[in-house]
Amino acid sequence: MPVLELKDIAKQYNKRVWGVQGMSLDVEDKEFIVFLGPSGCGKTTCMRMIAGLEETTRGSIILQGKDITDLPPRDRGISMVFQNYAIWPHMTVYDNIAFALKLKKLPSSEIKSRVEEVADMVKIGTMLSRFPGQMSGGQQQRVALARALAVRPKLFLMDEPLSNLDAKLRVIMRTELKAIHQRTEATSIFVTHDQSEAMSMADRIVIMKDGEIVQVGTPEDVYFRSADIFVAGFIGTPPTNFFYVDVKKENGCTILDHEFFKAELGKEDSDRLSGYEEIVLGVRPEDFILNKEGNGILKSQVLVVEPQGAHQVVALEVEGNIIKTLVPSDHSLRPGDNISFDFDMRHLHFFDKQTEKRIS
Amino acid sequence: MGSIRRGVFRSVRKTTLYIVVAGIAMALIFPMFFLFTFSLMSDYESYSEWPKPLLPRIKVEFRLTPIESVDGSYKMEIWNNSEKGFTPFGPEENTRANKSLRKLSNFIRNYSNCFISEKELSEIMDSVDQNGAETFILKKKVFNNYTRFFTLYSGAAQSVLNSLATAAMTVFLSLSIGGLAGYAFARYIFKGKNVLKLSVLFVRMFPPVAIALPMVIILGKIGLYDKPVGLSLIYSVNQVSLSIWITASVFMGIPESLEEASQVFGASKIGAFFRITLPLAVPGLAACAMYSFIYSWNEVINALILTQFNPTFPVVVYRSLLGANAQVHLIAAGSVAQALPAIIFTLFIRKYILQMWGGVKV
Amino acid sequence: MDNPTGVLSREQKKKIIPYLLIAPVVIYYILFWLLPVVRAISGSFMSAPADEGGVFTFGNYTALFKDPVFYQALFNTAFIVLISVTLEFVLAFGLALLINMKFHGSGMFLFLALIPMSLPAVAVGAMWTSGLSTYGWLNSFLIRIGILNAADKIIFLGGGHFAKMFLIIIVDAWQVIPSVMVILLSGMQALQPEMMEAGYVFGGSRFKVLRKITIPLLKPTITTAMILRIIAAIQIWLIIVMLFGYNRLPVLLEQIVLNVDKYTGSEAFFRKGMALSVVVSLIVSCVSFLYLKVSGAFDEPAGKGV
Ligand SMILES: Nc1ncnc2c1ncn2[C@@H]1O[C@H](COP(=O)(O)OP(=O)(O)OP(=O)(O)O)[C@@H](O)[C@H]1O
Ligand SMILES: [Mg+2]
Repeated sequence: MPVLELKDIAKQYNKRVWGVQGMSLDVEDKEFIVFLGPSGCGKTTCMRMIAGLEETTRGSIILQGKDITDLPPRDRGISMVFQNYAIWPHMTVYDNIAFALKLKKLPSSEIKSRVEEVADMVKIGTMLSRFPGQMSGGQQQRVALARALAVRPKLFLMDEPLSNLDAKLRVIMRTELKAIHQRTEATSIFVTHDQSEAMSMADRIVIMKDGEIVQVGTPEDVYFRSADIFVAGFIGTPPTNFFYVDVKKENGCTILDHEFFKAELGKEDSDRLSGYEEIVLGVRPEDFILNKEGNGILKSQVLVVEPQGAHQVVALEVEGNIIKTLVPSDHSLRPGDNISFDFDMRHLHFFDKQTEKRIS
Repeated sequence: MGSIRRGVFRSVRKTTLYIVVAGIAMALIFPMFFLFTFSLMSDYESYSEWPKPLLPRIKVEFRLTPIESVDGSYKMEIWNNSEKGFTPFGPEENTRANKSLRKLSNFIRNYSNCFISEKELSEIMDSVDQNGAETFILKKKVFNNYTRFFTLYSGAAQSVLNSLATAAMTVFLSLSIGGLAGYAFARYIFKGKNVLKLSVLFVRMFPPVAIALPMVIILGKIGLYDKPVGLSLIYSVNQVSLSIWITASVFMGIPESLEEASQVFGASKIGAFFRITLPLAVPGLAACAMYSFIYSWNEVINALILTQFNPTFPVVVYRSLLGANAQVHLIAAGSVAQALPAIIFTLFIRKYILQMWGGVKV
Repeated sequence: MDNPTGVLSREQKKKIIPYLLIAPVVIYYILFWLLPVVRAISGSFMSAPADEGGVFTFGNYTALFKDPVFYQALFNTAFIVLISVTLEFVLAFGLALLINMKFHGSGMFLFLALIPMSLPAVAVGAMWTSGLSTYGWLNSFLIRIGILNAADKIIFLGGGHFAKMFLIIIVDAWQVIPSVMVILLSGMQALQPEMMEAGYVFGGSRFKVLRKITIPLLKPTITTAMILRIIAAIQIWLIIVMLFGYNRLPVLLEQIVLNVDKYTGSEAFFRKGMALSVVVSLIVSCVSFLYLKVSGAFDEPAGKGV
């Protein structure tokens, strides 16, 4: 049975503005869910509805089999890390963390041990007597984390908890959070803008757009089996390249026909595309395979080269569109060089031209 | 070369700054300082010296000389600072008769704020008999005017209590209902908010005097006329609206997410307010309370209209000021006594006063 | 809150909370502001209390508008308001800029500058009557520091009509500038310094930055300070009475007090005073409205906050 069920929840802020248009989601026990989506897509709104800070306009929220839609926040047994920390400036770090425990009237020895335990977990054990004003942004964020951890919640909400850390600390905290999750096994929902964060942490990723869920799946699902053009374009850096192609039959083979290239499909893919005349082809940058002989499917000229360590991003221009490909760094390429690619035929993505949905 | 010029320029600027600051400070301090000086003056200093002393005297010099023509009688003189000499003081002839001694002692007390007993006077007369004229110095009771003000204007002490009661109730009223509305302004969007926002300005537009008159009748009907409670109801008209503005500004300075966080961690909506928002708002609210207190403590015209036998302290001072034989140094004493809480107030809130007004806008 | 199945849903409850919060204020103002105001207005149209056989009349207003003193008072008030509000604003702004420079001792200076604001009107009255009277401390001071001869004293309070008004303006400014300054200063301190710093970085001079960045950003604060000041300035009177006495320099509020409080017993004067108070509040609201309109306070979008 899922721990948390969202049944078509929606939030309308006013006549014109919807925060969330309608979301249904089941979260399993101990799962680590990541909400991912462009700014303003309703991630924070959804979290706030789950926490009870925002009333739902429609739908219901069920936590451990109990309908909590109309319960005030304090009765939900949920804890949260706020996007802007929301650390109380008039309390010491200790009091901040102990706040919820004191409200629960736990014995003070228990409170003390719990506070110290979580404080050590996020490495602020030595700062318990400080006031938030005397701490850096990153340290405050850890206080927010510790405060949320201390209550041992049924559900743990984190709204971009790492957004204000520097890049290095962020990667470290990412690992630590994952470790903490494995230790505490608290069901968690985590909001982020950062794809690599989402990919590396999530059990399942929920991709949102305009207040709706577009895909729910494991990191592999959303990456290799993107549900539609939006997801394919949103996930991955650089994003997927799209081509409008015609589907033709030649000599019993199915051929993708583009002004600049023709690609012959295998048996399986041909079956998938039977009945389609025009589709959108998606090819991820790393699925372009450099053809050294120069007689690959796609021929063009190098526009820009961006070295990135082991790989380099090579941009080409095809039919007025910029195409980005990922090429191992051992090929030395310069702008203006002629270049030729094959496709990795196993990982091609096909989308319906009208509905923009994946063809499967 | 350039750096020297810059250094000179900088120090010139700094000097100018401090000259300007000092000038303004003088303009602020002098009137208050002189009022204070006046409040310490005796009748004699205040009426018989010109130009008036700019610093209060703490010692007064007297001279007692025998009157040659009449045996056993003496002439009392006092040092006049502006004429730089002794001038006659008190009854023309003073003798050792009990009545005469008492008269002289009283005169010295009333007009120079110095205290000398009849016995001491007669001892001085003894020594004058032996050595001729004798000068002696008495210590002035500097704060005598203050005690005199409160004894002379009967009901002044009671009026202070009335003022305190009125002020306390005004603070309570304006902070409680004004604070609630201020919280609503800061945290909610609701219909009619803009109307209410302007009406807060609007209540200040009708002259308080004009409201006070019908209020005499209204308060009379509910039995609150001439009572501190009734007065505080009127004072709050201005203060509630001000409190709404100020508390709204204070609450807006406290992010709502702090409250929300505490709700998530187990506090109720009301608990969140009392545990998180209120403690953070205390300095601002205290400053706001002080504002109400000071307004109520200072107000005079409504109190004039709405009280009869239970005047507030400002009314007593005001009446003494407009009284027929206004004694300027006594009134000064009353005024300083009245101003003192205001100054202490400023001392306390100066840190918060800016925060308090920070987010206020029309 | 604990009972989701109660009569009102959480959503509905949340909607009514702000109304519950403002209800006491609304009730209070209806009872102790609206009611007396309505009575004052209706009273100004009556010849006597209704239960004493009063009838509806415009007589109080015609009496008022026929009175030459009313026009004098109107002129004097307008003059004083115009000059004093302008003067006070300029000086207060300068003072706020000065204190905002945070020089050594500016905290102490702020404290000093705040004191006049909280002084009781009566104390200020006593201060200036004892200072400006012919044998007051100002003359004493001028003589002692040698600016004046002991023989020739300045008769401050005996000047002509305009001299009196300027004296009032100065004395009023002394007390009122701090309260304007406080509002402006807090507005300045709420601005992010980066805003101005950016102005300097992009080549603005001190004056340019002040005019193009600081003042526009401060506009809401300035509007607040000015509107409060204008409303209060039109209602100036106590200091005038304390310095000169009644009817020496007629102003609107003083005339109200004079009619309703000093000429006690005369129904006609009392009613005239009420009519005048209605006229004054009309003037105050018109001027405030005009000021808010001109300064654009109505154009700002509504949202949270005051
Ligand atoms: N209080 C509010 N009133 C009106 N509209 C709101 C309010 N809060 C959010 N919105 C709108 O709801 C939508 C979703 O906002 P939300 O804060 O959930 O986005 P988000 O996904 O968290 O974005 P970000 O990644 O930038 O934090 C946005 O279009 C936003 O404009
Ligand atoms: Mg967000």
